[in-house]
Amino acid sequence: MSLLLVGMSHRTASVELRERCAQNDARPVLAKLVASPEIDEAVLLSTCNRVEIVVWTRELDAARLRLRSCFERELVGDGAPIRANELDSALYELVDGAAVRHVLRVASAIDSLVVGEPQILGQVKDAYRVAVGCGACGPILGRLYPRAFATAKRVKNETRLAERPISVARVAVDLARQIFESLEDKVALLVGAGDMIELALESLRRHGLGAVRVANRTPARAAALADRFGASAHGLDELPDLLRRSDLVLTCIGGDRPLLTAALVREALRERGHHPLLAIDIGVPRNVDPAVNQLDNVYLYDLDDLASVAESNALERQREAEQAEAIVAAEQQRFEGWLLALAAVPTIRALLARAEEIRRGELERALAGMALDPKATAAVEALSRGIVNKLLHAPLSRLREELEGEAGLAHLEAARSLFGLDEEGEAAQDDDSGEEPDLSR
Amino acid sequence: MSLTLELHSWTAAAYLAAATAAVTGLGMRARRLLGLGVALLALAAVLHGLAFFELHRLEPTPQLTDLPLAVSLAAWLLVLSFLALQLRLRTRGLAVLVAPAAFLGTVFAAFAAGGPAEREAGSALWSHLHVLLASGGLALLGVAGAAGVLYLIHHRAIKGKRPVGAPSALPSLENLDRANSLASALGFLLLSLGVLTGVLWVETREGRLWPGGLHANATLAVWLVYALLIAARHGAKQGARASAMGASVGFVLLLVVVVGVGVLR
Repeated sequence: MSLLLVGMSHRTASVELRERCAQNDARPVLAKLVASPEIDEAVLLSTCNRVEIVVWTRELDAARLRLRSCFERELVGDGAPIRANELDSALYELVDGAAVRHVLRVASAIDSLVVGEPQILGQVKDAYRVAVGCGACGPILGRLYPRAFATAKRVKNETRLAERPISVARVAVDLARQIFESLEDKVALLVGAGDMIELALESLRRHGLGAVRVANRTPARAAALADRFGASAHGLDELPDLLRRSDLVLTCIGGDRPLLTAALVREALRERGHHPLLAIDIGVPRNVDPAVNQLDNVYLYDLDDLASVAESNALERQREAEQAEAIVAAEQQRFEGWLLALAAVPTIRALLARAEEIRRGELERALAGMALDPKATAAVEALSRGIVNKLLHAPLSRLREELEGEAGLAHLEAARSLFGLDEEGEAAQDDDSGEEPDLSR
Repeated sequence: MSLTLELHSWTAAAYLAAATAAVTGLGMRARRLLGLGVALLALAAVLHGLAFFELHRLEPTPQLTDLPLAVSLAAWLLVLSFLALQLRLRTRGLAVLVAPAAFLGTVFAAFAAGGPAEREAGSALWSHLHVLLASGGLALLGVAGAAGVLYLIHHRAIKGKRPVGAPSALPSLENLDRANSLASALGFLLLSLGVLTGVLWVETREGRLWPGGLHANATLAVWLVYALLIAARHGAKQGARASAMGASVGFVLLLVVVVGVGVLR
């Protein structure tokens, strides 16, 4: 039995290809997959950055082909044909340990485009929930995914991977949170109506900023943007008044000269009772006079300042990611230990059965030559059972313990060899009886 | 070891543990550790309260006018003020200044404790009221000073554009300013009442309104400084940074006047 992962991500596939493979409803695909004889369990994760299928299979090669054909026929869907090698180069395959590690890394946001981003864990949980809901998830994936969620929780609690924002909008929001206790009662003024302003507006709204005003040279463009995000639109002539009523100003507008001069901001501050003002200038050339930062209660950040914060945070995240990888490795080992323990069940059963068989044989032989009353027979039988149990207790306990570690497989093989379990199995095969040995005794 | 002394030792130890947890938590940006610091501070406050209760049962009852005891009381009230402020504003980060200050206060009280202070004949009410109100004022103005210091540190970090990516364990500037404003106003009120009861105490004891001397004159000067700061803040709408500086400097002056002059006497 093997764990197989086939998928594509932002690292290997173009956004167009990812879009085509993305699934809003994974249930039909999962139902078809688990209906295949070679696949026992399946989970499909589909986000804007990755489409991945994880399966537990009894026939690795057949499952590999099945998943590739699933991507080719069921996920890509109708539409313009894609080049044959495009899908091949976009898809990656991971088996067993590598697949486990990948699932844990994805859930922990170590493999994300923005390392440490919080959305992916929710998406993985949703994917798992859907698979459980449609009966595509069994004991193995049902164990792997909760382990992945526990890993993500550990990464979140034990590292600071997610604490350092690396996008301009997030840095702006975090800066605002260090100045203002709550953003809900604050007013933001966005100057400009371009893509950067749109992204910032989206982010500010998402982080619960109370009121947003958009000011632009062309009021119609400001209105178009404001309408989409429930903001109000203004012309640049209203700037002095808007400034007086705003707590956060974000500018990204064309122009040769700074739009917000020190005199203008000073006057606004005076009128607003010296309440703090956070000004973020992402315009090139700059829209806010750098002298504004000299004013009391004004915190001015330009693009270079934000970039240096974001860069430093990205480096910090990289350092944190190393810690996160160590957590993933430990959790991977735990899961693989569990899988191995599962694999050890037949060995342990065989060992117990073999011991029981020997005990019974020897006991019958010994009792045949003695005329013991039933009480004495029971005592001898209990004695033989006690000896066998005590002899096996230590090696079996040790075997179970070792299965959690790296040397687990070696111990398992050693046990089979030492107790001659493989020979017995081979002998049984040589007998060609066609019946599986009953190990449940 | 008497129970009072034992409780005092445990209180100092708890303050030290709280200070260590809070400072480490802030340094490592570990909010849970900072939270642990606040919890230990609350535990220390309970122990401190028990120590005062036990002290009150001693015969003869120690006088609050005894400087080490008054400092210990101020340290306890400082912690209680901080904890009360915690309920209203999210200012956990202040524990990094409050806990060490409380620890130093209790240690000072333990080492500087001398023999029992002279009993105040006939003026015990005013003397106790004076110490209680003045200590309460000192404690609240201490919280305001701590909020001011943290405000200046945080302000400098943001203004200096140092990487501030991870959510800081420090409270927001807005909350630090609110804490400063609230604690300053209440602290000034208690300090004023402390000065007033001090005047009444002197009048009862010596039959004159103003005793003169370094302590009384310096206290009056600091009271005037605080009156100006409060007027600037609430009357002239002074900015948060200037207010933070005022609260920090004002508290240092107050500490010098109350503790420094008291030690010199």
